[in-house]
Amino acid sequence: MNEEKKLLYMKHIRKAFPGVLVLDDVDFSVGYGEVHGLMGENGAGKSTLIKILTGIYPSDEGTIEVDGKEVQIQNKYDAASCGISVIYQELSLIPTLTVIENIFLGQELTKGKVFLDRKAMRKRAQELVEKCHFDIDLDAAVENLSVAKQQIVEILKSLLFDAKIIIMDEPTASLNIQESESLFEIIRRLKAQGTSIIYISHRLEEIWNLADRLTVLRDGKVRGVLSKEEIEPAKVVHMMIGKDLQEEDSVVHDPIAGGSVLKIENLSTPELLDKITFEARGGQILGIGGLVGSGRTETLECIYGLRRYTEGKITIDGETVADKAGRVRKQGIGLVPEDRRVQGLVQGLSVADNIALTNYDVMFRTSYITPRKIVETADKCIRQLRIKTPDGMTKCMNLSGGNQQKVVLAKWLERDLKVLLVDEPTVGIDVGSKAEIYGILRSIADQGKVVIVVSSDVEELLKISDRILILVNGKVYDDIPNRGLTADDLLLAASGMSKKEEV
Amino acid sequence: MKHLRKISYQKPLMLLALIVIATLLNRSFLSISNIISILLAVCIYGVMACGTIFPLLNGGIDLSIGSIAALSGSVMVLVTIHFGYTPAGTMMGILAGIAAGAVCGLINGLVSYYFLVPSFVVTLAMKNIILGVAQHITHQNTIICLESKVMNWIGTGKIAGVPFLIWSFVLMFIVVWFVLNRTKYGKYTYATGGNETATRYSGINSRMIGISAFVISGCTAAISGILLSCFNRQAVATQASGYDGNVLVMLVVGGVSMAGGEGNITGVLFGMSLVGIINNAMLLMGVDSIYQDMIQGILIVIAVALDYFSRKRSIAVQTKKMEAKAA
Repeated sequence: MNEEKKLLYMKHIRKAFPGVLVLDDVDFSVGYGEVHGLMGENGAGKSTLIKILTGIYPSDEGTIEVDGKEVQIQNKYDAASCGISVIYQELSLIPTLTVIENIFLGQELTKGKVFLDRKAMRKRAQELVEKCHFDIDLDAAVENLSVAKQQIVEILKSLLFDAKIIIMDEPTASLNIQESESLFEIIRRLKAQGTSIIYISHRLEEIWNLADRLTVLRDGKVRGVLSKEEIEPAKVVHMMIGKDLQEEDSVVHDPIAGGSVLKIENLSTPELLDKITFEARGGQILGIGGLVGSGRTETLECIYGLRRYTEGKITIDGETVADKAGRVRKQGIGLVPEDRRVQGLVQGLSVADNIALTNYDVMFRTSYITPRKIVETADKCIRQLRIKTPDGMTKCMNLSGGNQQKVVLAKWLERDLKVLLVDEPTVGIDVGSKAEIYGILRSIADQGKVVIVVSSDVEELLKISDRILILVNGKVYDDIPNRGLTADDLLLAASGMSKKEEV
Repeated sequence: MKHLRKISYQKPLMLLALIVIATLLNRSFLSISNIISILLAVCIYGVMACGTIFPLLNGGIDLSIGSIAALSGSVMVLVTIHFGYTPAGTMMGILAGIAAGAVCGLINGLVSYYFLVPSFVVTLAMKNIILGVAQHITHQNTIICLESKVMNWIGTGKIAGVPFLIWSFVLMFIVVWFVLNRTKYGKYTYATGGNETATRYSGINSRMIGISAFVISGCTAAISGILLSCFNRQAVATQASGYDGNVLVMLVVGGVSMAGGEGNITGVLFGMSLVGIINNAMLLMGVDSIYQDMIQGILIVIAVALDYFSRKRSIAVQTKKMEAKAA
């Protein structure tokens, strides 16, 4: 591989933080016009590697070559002048400014160094948009754009200074299926024009679709560099976690006799839900699939009392479910919301305080509370769910995604729960934690509780659900036991074209 | 180890330095009578701060507290006079004053949370409205009230040699510390301020938490207005003008975040002491009153800058350590 010329070559990179070796003799290279996947569990060293490449951290040892020349990257300006640009998970755009203003922010074209040259900027932006066939309104305010469109703005921004390498960190984490598809299309176009892409993702299928090569990191070491033909799921997972992942036997679990029963009848809201009717039984995991906007999240929010509904009846074990979240919680229904950072956790509070937040009523009979009990409860959850945190007093914002999600789950495990509603349980979470979270959900169901999982990840639905409900445009389109179902079946059903009907 | 991390030595050290300097400049600074006079000068602000911390912790702000103090003081004096200065009449006056504060707070809360107007705007408008009401009921006069024994005792009475006003602050401080640190309500307050959405998704009525915070703030502002009127033996619509600014300075100097969710009532002790010591030291040194506000301002900016700078840095150090651990 050494004979062909590389665009980027990071050699023997070593980085240690006090007490930990984060990167150990890592070699990483990207060719011209190559999409290079980078995978590894949280903490494997991916982000540190990227931070070294973009000048946020200095490396302890090792060199970086761009275009065959050794370069010193000490800050983001160095990185930019080497043609390296990053598109972070949290986009760094100014919401109130327009697309064009954002693109040129900090690199405005001027007349006489003082006055903005609006014409020239518009012309330059238009050229870029046309060259890449992007579909975007340059005068729209960024806050009114979808996340997918915002990513396009970020990409435009990096193309403006002729980025040769664009680093994308989990770019599809907050995109729906169509948006992801169009992002892939954009990536292919960028590649065709000779731009290289470093693509970081937890989703193997995306890597498999896009990447020309894949580098897998584990514990700060390169565990393998695979070419497109060599990328096989089992192999990659083995490289990432250092052992084989046990394949779950896809047994369909039957409802447990005496388990809880959640009944939804004719649930309707104006313009969103149309007479949704289904029943979920304890002991089973009910998956809900469908496209974004099909009413999946809204259904959960109605059940949990966060959203008003105009018509319909929701009962748990024959008892009508209240329409206020506080009372619904007391009836034994819990919700793990879609966006754990905004809806699931108070980031500035400790792990212990977050776990306690839903449980004060069961932990303390009176209004008086004791910090000791809060910490003890948290310690128990931390042990049970194997949450990786120094202790219960650590703020949630310092935990990795997978561990944050475990904290959100822990909020509901201390209660006498009948129903757990889970919305997108594993977005942006590494393979190892994913498996653990599936295990937790299964064990909850095994206790005779109702578990309902909404997911956009078809593989995930197939893997964990015993029964799958497909919503299309706010209606229940299909309700099928998960026996021998394939991803194609689900995708067809979600788009409203069932295979059964075709035959 | 667990608890060590939470304690910051910055603030006590800063206070100690100030005390040493003040003592060196004037030996009488550390005398008991001077310490009491420092506390007396700030304790009414302190009572106010004890309640106004709630809207701040929720991520809001209450700018109407000065006006509420004026209105409640006036209501209390007027009602007391109406009942002929009897102890029972005075008690009625006090209750009426507190009720007036509670109603003002309730309006602040309801408008902020049901019409979704930022509390900055609501309470700024309410500040003028309430002041107008206070001026209306007092006819813009200073209403002297010398004959109520209860009022006089509240204003100047002592328990164990310490003025009742200081005791009332101590009591309020203990109650608020308890509420914030040892009750569900306190925990919900921090959660709501830290992330209102996540709190709502946890099945907690965060709107009620937010509205009640303004009622608490209104009540404590009312109590401080009543204490002030008792101390002065009079009520006037301008009696607490400027208090809102001073109280907010004490809270923010004390480490209460304007964004909500962070800060504790113990920090307010620091803010109060800082302001109190600076003012007192200037008095003892005979600084011309023209320059007192200016010097106070400069010292507060220095103190806050030092505190924020050290906190930011310690957070940066901690994050680095966390990252190292995680990796």
